[in-house]
Formats: sequence, structure tokens, C-alpha cells
Amino acid sequence: MPGAQPNLEPPPFSMKATQKRLEAIIKEVQEVNLGNDWKYTADDANVMTKKVSDEVKDRLRDLGLPRYKFLVQVVLGQKVGEGMHMGCRTLWDQDTDAYATVTHGNDDYFCTATAYGVYQY
Amino acid sequence: MSMMDPSEEFPEEDIQTIVKPAIAQLLNGVQFNPSKVNDWCNTIIDTCLKELQSLSKPYKYVITCVIMQKNGGGMTTSAACYWDGGKDGKTRVPFENDTMHCIVTVYGLSVNIDTKDDEV
Repeated sequence: MPGAQPNLEPPPFSMKATQKRLEAIIKEVQEVNLGNDWKYTADDANVMTKKVSDEVKDRLRDLGLPRYKFLVQVVLGQKVGEGMHMGCRTLWDQDTDAYATVTHGNDDYFCTATAYGVYQY
Repeated sequence: MSMMDPSEEFPEEDIQTIVKPAIAQLLNGVQFNPSKVNDWCNTIIDTCLKELQSLSKPYKYVITCVIMQKNGGGMTTSAACYWDGGKDGKTRVPFENDTMHCIVTVYGLSVNIDTKDDEV
């Protein structure tokens, strides 16, 4: 059975994945899981990145926005004075799609979580 | 009734062919330089995105690029995706030289194309 019929109408504002909605969720998940006292260790980091990304994805899904796909990317690193730069570009529909990124951390670690919401026509 | 058209699958190999040379030609043998890293990031991603556009596949793309200096620090990344398991996909292209790591991730999200079969 081929995919569902495309819906070319953009969603109403209440059903859109906006930057604010995505940002609020990411902030909360980071604060609950990492807080200010977390220390970077290789094993912990492995578990924690997966936990944060899965939790953000689950909460985005639970927002109940129809026809939206979500991507969550989490980068967790140790602060040892190295330089780092992250960038992203997207090829999508500006009216319906959005992203949000939040960086959290203390002197020992940084955690950058980015969530993208993409509408499926 | 239609089977999965190969032209509609996530073009993983095409993306690898596009991204690998884009990074290598810019960063091969280059020292990490904090004042240039912004431009590198932008150039790599812009090049990749332009070539992905020319593939003309029914996909929306998200490309991220992380460039990190080699300084002994640890870094972990993970991604969680809520999407169509059959049609959507992601590819990760890692690269490293003596002074830095560069990881480019390309996510492709399929778009429904309205294909009308002509009625005979």
C-alpha cells in the first residue's frame, strides 16, 4: 500500500512544531538529567547521551502534533580546553518545519541538544 | 499496487560520495584554527546541501557538522528519530586528521509526492 495521500495544507499554529515548543522540552530534559553537578566519564556519557536523546524524542512525540517527524541530536563532551564548532543546514519548508538547540553545562562538560521538527505533507 | 521504487529510497551511498570529498578537500592536512572553523563548517555544509538538492529526490534534508580539536577530551553523540522507518534514514560521515575530528551527519526525511496515475 503506497504512503498516505499528501496533505498540502500547512498545519494551524496550534499544531505546529515551533522553536519555542521544542526549546522548552530540551531545556527541561537537560536540567532534569544533567543538572549542574554532573561529571563527564566515558561510560556515563554513553548512557547519558542515549537517555537524553530518547527522552527528548519521546516527549516530542507526546506533544501530539500530527504528521510531524522529529530528529534529536545530542552532543556531550568534556571541557579540556579544546575548540569545537557545530553547524547545521536544512533543506525544508520554512513555514512548517523548525528546530531548536540548547547548550547546557558546567566547568567539566557541555551538552548541546538539537531537536528538529519536520512536517510530512 | 506499487513496490518500493529504488529512486525513492534513502540515497545513502550517494550521500557518502558527496560528503566525503567535500570534507577531505577542505580539511586534509589542515591545522585546527578557531578563526577559520566557522567558515569550514559553513562551506562543508553548503557544498553538501547544494549537491543533495541536485539529486532531486523526494526528501527534506538536515545536515549537521561537528568539528572538534584533538585535545584529549572525550565526546559522545547520539541521535533519536521519530520518523518513517521504511523511507527515512541517516548517514554519518566521520573524518579526522592530526589536529581535529569532523563528523557530518545527514538525515533524510521523505516527502509524500502526489503521484497521479493517468486513467486510461
